[in-house]
Amino acid sequence: MKSYAISFVLLSIVFAGPGLADSTPWQAVWGSETATDKITMTGRANVMTVNDGRSLSATAAVTAARGKIRFDYQASKRRWSLIDDGTHLIQLHPDRKTALLLARPTLAVDRTLAERNYLARETAEEIVAGRRARIIEIAPREGGPPVYRLWLDRETRFALKRERHNVDGRLTSGTEYTAVQFGPAIAPEVFAVPQGWVTKQPVDREAKLSLSQLGARLGFAIRSPKYVPPGYVLLGGYEQEWGRHRLRMAELRYTDGLRVLSIFQRERTGDEGSGRHGGRGRQHGRDRGEDDRDRGRGGGLGFGPPGREEMTLVDRGTEKALRYFSRDTAVVVVGDLTAEEIVRIAKSVD
Amino acid sequence: MTDRDHIVDRLADYAVGALRGREKARVETHLAECAICRRELAALQRTGELLNAVSLEPAPPETWDAVRERIGDLRRASAPARPRFAWGLAMGIAAVLIVALGIFLQRPTSIGEPLLVVAVEADDEMQATIEGHLSTMWAAPLADEAAVGLRLAEWENDG
Repeated sequence: MKSYAISFVLLSIVFAGPGLADSTPWQAVWGSETATDKITMTGRANVMTVNDGRSLSATAAVTAARGKIRFDYQASKRRWSLIDDGTHLIQLHPDRKTALLLARPTLAVDRTLAERNYLARETAEEIVAGRRARIIEIAPREGGPPVYRLWLDRETRFALKRERHNVDGRLTSGTEYTAVQFGPAIAPEVFAVPQGWVTKQPVDREAKLSLSQLGARLGFAIRSPKYVPPGYVLLGGYEQEWGRHRLRMAELRYTDGLRVLSIFQRERTGDEGSGRHGGRGRQHGRDRGEDDRDRGRGGGLGFGPPGREEMTLVDRGTEKALRYFSRDTAVVVVGDLTAEEIVRIAKSVD
Repeated sequence: MTDRDHIVDRLADYAVGALRGREKARVETHLAECAICRRELAALQRTGELLNAVSLEPAPPETWDAVRERIGDLRRASAPARPRFAWGLAMGIAAVLIVALGIFLQRPTSIGEPLLVVAVEADDEMQATIEGHLSTMWAAPLADEAAVGLRLAEWENDG
């Protein structure tokens, strides 16, 4: 009896503790998503991303516990913090003692969708921040460059290093921990707005609506695209209001399990899209007058005559955005897609 | 740094490697110090990549026939009276037609299709939609939250 008990304990250790290393690549990947739900963690990381074609980098002190996470960034002489408390994204600006609250977006993505569209495979093992990490590469099943490379801690499944590549295979973001500690005591106040700070209240942008509900609220018929790339499914429709002009738009949000595709629609006004966005777009946005901004910052390299329909494509490196004026609506498609795909989607909304 | 200090007018030449010597060194010195011009250069290079990726469509045969016919008409109409002037006029018109044809060939879409404009910078509306999409990416599966947060802060900083 005693030997059975010892065997049971040994098997439990093998399958419950170090056994994490024996999980399939997808199990390890999904385990990384909830790693900090069960443990506390502090660490330091180097972070880079591409924004508007430029590379940005910063160091970040990271604190995580009970599904909440806080990043204290430092870049050059700037310092700021970002907290995800599970309900809001909170940007803390210490110089102004201001906290900006955004409604935390939610995406109920079916994980089997990602597993249907992508392959995860373990490629090697490396030491990151002094810890053993499994390297897992996630690439489209239909071929193409990997979207993610993850270095997952063998013991906790926490992602010690992460690289994301766009559809063209370019590295668009990366985070690598240089030091990490699991299990420290963390006070709940770490994830709250400090007392006495000015708080800007959130705007709820995440009410999920049907196409007819969206149409009724915005006052025009919302169209579904006749084409979305293979593997993408509709997550839902949302009403949005953004920008200096508080543009009210409908957003149809799609996903293939990892990437997200947004299709925005609003009513077309006046002679929009009739060649008036032409121009070199060489001036800097901040240096120009209001009129220029209203006509479209940049405009691009178009030489279209007045009256000619336009599509405007912007490549941010991380994603592309394309605006298309159909008969009576303006459509903006944003996603990590090839230029050909994004044009095809936009035209199919017509 | 004022608008006049920027070297935006030299960036296109620099981007295609057309600058040499002192001029190139001057641009590189400025770029090392000026984030705005670096950003402009990156945008130009990205635009160049996109334009290179666009395939050109061959002109329909009738376009060439129309060019030849038009030149022929002009020659026939003016040859007897003032041959030297007619030759110059024909050459001029042919040059204009060739330039027009060149522009036609550069168009990524055929006539009747919407014109695809590759923008260097996003206008307010496109910027707002990209920003909205970015905040959604925070909740996407496997999102690199640290990197998304860095971009979100940059948006707010720019705004």
